[in-house]
Amino acid sequence: MIAPRPYALLAEITYRCPLHCPYCSNPTQTRNDGELTTDEWTRVIREASALGVLQIGFSGGEPLGRRDLPDLVRAAREASLYTNLITSGIGLDDDRVHALRDAGLDSVQLSFQSDNSDLADEIAGARAHQRKLDAAAKIRAAGIPLSLNFVIHRRNIDRLPQMIELAESLQAERVELANVQFYGWAFLNRATLLPTREQVVRAREIATAAKARLAGKIDILYVLPDYYETRPKPCLNGWGQRYLTVNPTGDVLPCPTASSAIPDLRFENVRTRALDWIWRESESFNRFRGTEWMPEPCQSCPQREIDFGGCRCQAALLTGNAANTDPVCELSPNRASVDAVLHELHSLGHRAPDWIYRSNPKVLAVEGPVIAARR
Amino acid sequence: MKTQTIAGSAQPRLARGVRLQTDPATGNSVLLFPEGVLELNETAQDILTRCDGRTVTEIVQALAEEYDVDSKMLTADVCDTLADLQRRKLIELT
Repeated sequence: MIAPRPYALLAEITYRCPLHCPYCSNPTQTRNDGELTTDEWTRVIREASALGVLQIGFSGGEPLGRRDLPDLVRAAREASLYTNLITSGIGLDDDRVHALRDAGLDSVQLSFQSDNSDLADEIAGARAHQRKLDAAAKIRAAGIPLSLNFVIHRRNIDRLPQMIELAESLQAERVELANVQFYGWAFLNRATLLPTREQVVRAREIATAAKARLAGKIDILYVLPDYYETRPKPCLNGWGQRYLTVNPTGDVLPCPTASSAIPDLRFENVRTRALDWIWRESESFNRFRGTEWMPEPCQSCPQREIDFGGCRCQAALLTGNAANTDPVCELSPNRASVDAVLHELHSLGHRAPDWIYRSNPKVLAVEGPVIAARR
Repeated sequence: MKTQTIAGSAQPRLARGVRLQTDPATGNSVLLFPEGVLELNETAQDILTRCDGRTVTEIVQALAEEYDVDSKMLTADVCDTLADLQRRKLIELT
């Protein structure tokens, strides 16, 4: 199979994070081989650019936990990449905003847990909300384009109108209202995070109305709650088609959640292989590339090059086999596994279990804890 | 398609956070913006490389001279392209 060229690299530069959001899609267990060094990341960035990548997202964990972030942004700009920082905003003081702007950072996507400070801090498991508001103001003052990201779940979905108002008042250019997707910590906390059908119906109406009202002013991206859909999401626009992720220890993943969701797939590492080879030749990138791997009902489905059979990680997590049709699809023989989850939620009523907060990797590599590292 | 009305005196500029650059893989122009890449066709490329403070009328004139075509026909094309880019928040008109 001939590999297409990738467009975007997600650089997960650290799994360390000062927040403990129970909806985090990071793996619940991580290896502690040591984070890639500045030089290693710089090489990865150059190799990605040579491969055709045009965009890089610095993510994590909290990417501000790496003191060398401005150096990495500069390296990415020198390689002509468009640079986006995906951050909680914690640790973004004036010096760092200016250092990042001077390094050529193109845009920032800032996460919020709610518009309401108490609820937001409860979800984050840290006193974070006010610091995020301060970070937003600093980003604006530095003239860097700002996107907001809200992960939507049962505890905050009813505040969608207020969250959209917050985005307006912070003069964001773009807002993602992303219904929680169930991977990593979020999969563990699914029973607590999954919204009810009534909540989902109302949220969709609110998002649609806001989209129309704010057209030309704020771009609103509403990410659907896929358990409630009848057809799967076109995950990644196809496996190994446009995106690649490099995780903190250098594993190269077709999808950021693949390492934890698909344990039988072996991933290559930038410390031992060239990125070009991994993208084109590796087993992990070729396993689900194109349509040949597809089982029925995907193989003969007219939608197969529209939704690509949905999400491999979801198939693995819910059916035990990553090569199955995404069970969200109404045509999947495993749709009952999703319906059972929804049924259980509605029979539980309001008696949802407590969530488990995300914890940090046990062994901290390269640097100390993110907060202590700040001067 | 509905023809968009854009004043000839309007000055189109790239919106904040949007970058126009050459795609090393193809040699063609692309627009880069948060979480997006737009591969430009020749018309869009010709127009956007001239969005440097010039007015719509001046851009049309420059293109009409370069390609030796009727500026009336060209105006509709240029305005349609600019309206499309404005809808996607990739350019601003001042």
